[in-house]
Amino acid sequence: MARLSLPALYARTARAAIAGSAADRANLTLQVFGMLINNGFMLTLWVLFFAGFHSVGGWRLRDMALLTGLIYAIAGVAGVAFGGYRDMAATILNGEIDALLTQPRPVLARLLSRDSLPIAWGDLGTGLAILIAFAGLTWRDLPALAFGWTCGLIVYLSAAVTFASLAFWVGGARSLARDLTDFMILMSTYPGSIYSGASRAIAYTLLPAGFVVLTPVAFLRRPSLESAAMEAAAVIVYAALAAGVFHFGLTRYRRGASPLGAG
Amino acid sequence: MPPVISVQALRKDFRYPRQGKGVAAAVRGVFAPDYQTVHAVDGISLQIGEAERVAIIGPNGAGKSTTLKMLSGVLEPSGGTATVFGLTPWRQRSALAYRIGVVFGQRSQLWAELPVRASFDLLGHIYDQRGPDAVARREDLIARFDLGPLLGQPVGRLSLGQRMRCEIAAALLHGPDLLFLDEPTIGLDITAKAAIRDFITQNAAGAGQTVVLTSHDTRDIELVCDRVIVINQGRIVVDQPTEQLRRQFLAHKLVTLHAPGRTVTLDLPGVTRRASEPHLAVFEIDTRLVRVEHAVAAALEGGGIEDITIEDPPMEEVIREIYASV
Repeated sequence: MARLSLPALYARTARAAIAGSAADRANLTLQVFGMLINNGFMLTLWVLFFAGFHSVGGWRLRDMALLTGLIYAIAGVAGVAFGGYRDMAATILNGEIDALLTQPRPVLARLLSRDSLPIAWGDLGTGLAILIAFAGLTWRDLPALAFGWTCGLIVYLSAAVTFASLAFWVGGARSLARDLTDFMILMSTYPGSIYSGASRAIAYTLLPAGFVVLTPVAFLRRPSLESAAMEAAAVIVYAALAAGVFHFGLTRYRRGASPLGAG
Repeated sequence: MPPVISVQALRKDFRYPRQGKGVAAAVRGVFAPDYQTVHAVDGISLQIGEAERVAIIGPNGAGKSTTLKMLSGVLEPSGGTATVFGLTPWRQRSALAYRIGVVFGQRSQLWAELPVRASFDLLGHIYDQRGPDAVARREDLIARFDLGPLLGQPVGRLSLGQRMRCEIAAALLHGPDLLFLDEPTIGLDITAKAAIRDFITQNAAGAGQTVVLTSHDTRDIELVCDRVIVINQGRIVVDQPTEQLRRQFLAHKLVTLHAPGRTVTLDLPGVTRRASEPHLAVFEIDTRLVRVEHAVAAALEGGGIEDITIEDPPMEEVIREIYASV
């Protein structure tokens, strides 16, 4: 009997999660519409801001549009296709991974694919609209955009998984993981020029907004081997960190040392 | 024939930081936590053979769910050995997963937002279930568990009893030889419990399946299992056939009679009054001496009964009796 490959299984599970999240049409419409308004309002603020100030530390409206469009698009894909990341800490703390541990496939993939967030369609929609209408991109930018989007998505998800994996150690990780992820998104919505010293260090380490959007934006504006290599290295480091922290956490959970150990 | 499950001196310890009183103790606990160790499973040994239906029972915190989690590969033990179908569960988790089905009564393996059919499809892919055998098994389970009308409904909208039927069917989709059931009837009403017990018994008997079940409900054990292992404080207290346990410890029923009159009486051999208050009395019926229906009929004959409740003694009481006897 042919075994379904992990990517194929992931695609089927994620597709089912998307179908499940779209089943409640009223909820889907409300959440998407709300997010479109929220993101549209943020863009309007930047448009008004740049009507008065031509540039901030070298950042113009189209750079900000590229930045916000990219982070919304990244958060959109993450929420739609990997939506389990959002409640992963709660899932771990509730002991819901026990059922997954009795099944044959990798637990992390099952956790990420188990949910799809309706609100993320709003992020994805506004992200694409902003990228198309305001970021000043051309067809020739598409490969660089695909590279930056993919790399940013992997760093974003890796950081979110790392934060959620804290639930294997800390009972209060449920809100901590969400807060850290939200801070990372927040830091990803400001021009890179405002970060210096400690805030810059944080943006390129603990809350890697730098690698989620700033380096991809820099690469899109001035493609160079150096920025591509730096982003690719960040992808490897953060993905390895997420896989490692999750693996050690899961081992700890299975040894009964986690906050929920006794089961 | 080698046993399906073989366990030797299995142990599981959990370490918790001790909670001190006051702010100073809380601050001290952050920097120098004082741990206490709980021996959840304390050196149990047992063997379970093919097609046996075994109940592991005990009060809350006795170690029964922890034992099940070690045997299904979820938890690693602190000591001892165990094999299930010759595999070490916590080291060969994925290989074992294809041979076992697991139902945790309070956790779902189904997708709440999806229709039951879609959940079954996904589980089929997770367990590589394709081909005519898998389709036939699935159709058979749907027919036997009467799931046809539920297939199109989202799991989240099912009643608890309906969901549990779907959970058990889902755990059987890949045709496991061993079924672990952790509190499968918890929270269900009497009818749903009876239906679940019938499903488990008929399925296991038909498929020659081994069943290991934990429960708080003595009826689950009586009706589903042919062997009972009583665990308390992580140790096996009793391991004997259900019939023997039934004769010794499960021969009582509690009948509560409500009446508008101030006193309620029931004078029969084998009936003892356990508690009384105005308009209500609780009687213990020794079913070895008098049948429950005879006792109830006698109570009704006297007239003036408004309501009757028939219950099994709580598990904690049964365990206390077992303790007193060993």
